[in-house]
Amino acid sequence: MQDVVVLGVGQSEFGKFPERGIAELGGAAARTAIADAGIDPGDLQAAFSSRVYEAMITSQTILKDLGVTGIEMVNVENACAGGSTAVRSLYKDIAAGYVDVGIAIGVESMTTSPVAGKLIPPDKDDLDGQMGLSMPVLFALQAKRLMETHGAKEEDFAQVSVKAHEFGALNPKAQYRKRFTVEEVLGSRMVADPITLLQCCPNTDGAAAVVLASADFARKYTEKPVRITGSSLISGDYDFKRADLTTMPLGVKAATSAYEQAGIGPEDVDVVELHDAFATEELVHYEDLGLCPRGESVGLLRSGATSLGGRVPVNPSGGLLSLGHPLAASGVRIICELTDQLRGRAGDRQVPGAKVGLAQMLGGAATGLDAGAASVHILTV
Amino acid sequence: MTTSTTSTPFREGLFRDGSDGPTLLAGRCTSCGRVSFPVPDMCLQCRGQDIDAVELGGDAELLCATTVHMPNRHFPPGHAVGFVVLPQGVRIFTQLRPVDAKPFRSGMPMKLEIAPLWREDDTDVLAYRFVPA
Repeated sequence: MQDVVVLGVGQSEFGKFPERGIAELGGAAARTAIADAGIDPGDLQAAFSSRVYEAMITSQTILKDLGVTGIEMVNVENACAGGSTAVRSLYKDIAAGYVDVGIAIGVESMTTSPVAGKLIPPDKDDLDGQMGLSMPVLFALQAKRLMETHGAKEEDFAQVSVKAHEFGALNPKAQYRKRFTVEEVLGSRMVADPITLLQCCPNTDGAAAVVLASADFARKYTEKPVRITGSSLISGDYDFKRADLTTMPLGVKAATSAYEQAGIGPEDVDVVELHDAFATEELVHYEDLGLCPRGESVGLLRSGATSLGGRVPVNPSGGLLSLGHPLAASGVRIICELTDQLRGRAGDRQVPGAKVGLAQMLGGAATGLDAGAASVHILTV
Repeated sequence: MTTSTTSTPFREGLFRDGSDGPTLLAGRCTSCGRVSFPVPDMCLQCRGQDIDAVELGGDAELLCATTVHMPNRHFPPGHAVGFVVLPQGVRIFTQLRPVDAKPFRSGMPMKLEIAPLWREDDTDVLAYRFVPA
């Protein structure tokens, strides 16, 4: 196994850009990542791209405009975890020694997708999907259980969103760049009780890209490499195996595997980026990632430990809630944010002295499973 | 103006609405005893291949509920959904019908109802939902 490092990162603008195609959005991210890596586009030996909607030859569509042709290009899909899947796929190929350097891209044009402005349903033939299950509904019902079993209040869920927007206001790439109060979050339109509109991620167009390389290859380009020390991707398990909705066993499994690979525990993590498509789920991920003991996620949030200036800030980028959520881009984008954090170049939202970052992404829903996929990456300097 | 009276179940083999009341149709693994809804092709717990047909009846307990304020494919804004737990421990996602604006509470006893929940091609589509008992 070769050591794998993040050599360069890039993110397009996030927002609503129906006039921008996949090649333009993805190209902006890929160009930035390649320039950040300091390599020539011709150095790339492999590309993995991910896109959920209307996806076909995404890598080729983006990279042909950058002069990159005639290499292995793979296009993957894993719902919101698709970007993480692309990163992990490239990571594995470099670790295994098949290639020395490659690019992973996540891109989504939500405003031109078939689900623009709608609830994202499971597959059209899915039993629960037919019966009315959608992402916000699933997370609203989970939130109801958190209220019952964890003593979570509506104000706690709103606070997750307030926290995300406090960070997002400091991120020039964020879609919102605006702070909200708990009252404003609670007063926004109800989507699925207790989730209000400002506790849902927006529809976002955008892309993110990372250039990964073997440690040997990277030596010529950087003296301070950000290493990927843990990488996991786990598919969902049967819903009947979990006692309640307040844990997602696939997320626990993904985290445990990544921690083992990195040889660290949750207490060693300085900064986290995770799937907060809905504010309420952040509390579940705190526990599944081991950031606090079972049952104590509400206390962890209220303590301020995960806020700006806290012990382990969560989603300093603004998260999906404030930065935005171009579905397949998010799994790549969280690697970009953590790389910037570990390199100490995250500007006003910099977590001081961050050495270990954890990136988690969750994807998809299907009848009978706790979720579709969960992925965790651990980055270390 | 005419009203169509044709109706069709949303899927075959999910429920039966007899004179003794409605019931959900499930499968029990002859090896490990696990009960699953809907009837699985194989046991998802032990991979056993022999599944006996069992009826779950129509009684359940509410686990959690929410009111959805956005339209869904088949349901207008304002519809209620939730998870209920059947006596055999089977947890299912379902539409809920509120009664007298009584708030849904965890642990509330619920009863199965088979009803036309939406229309497709001028036909009522019959499906399951739960109402407070």
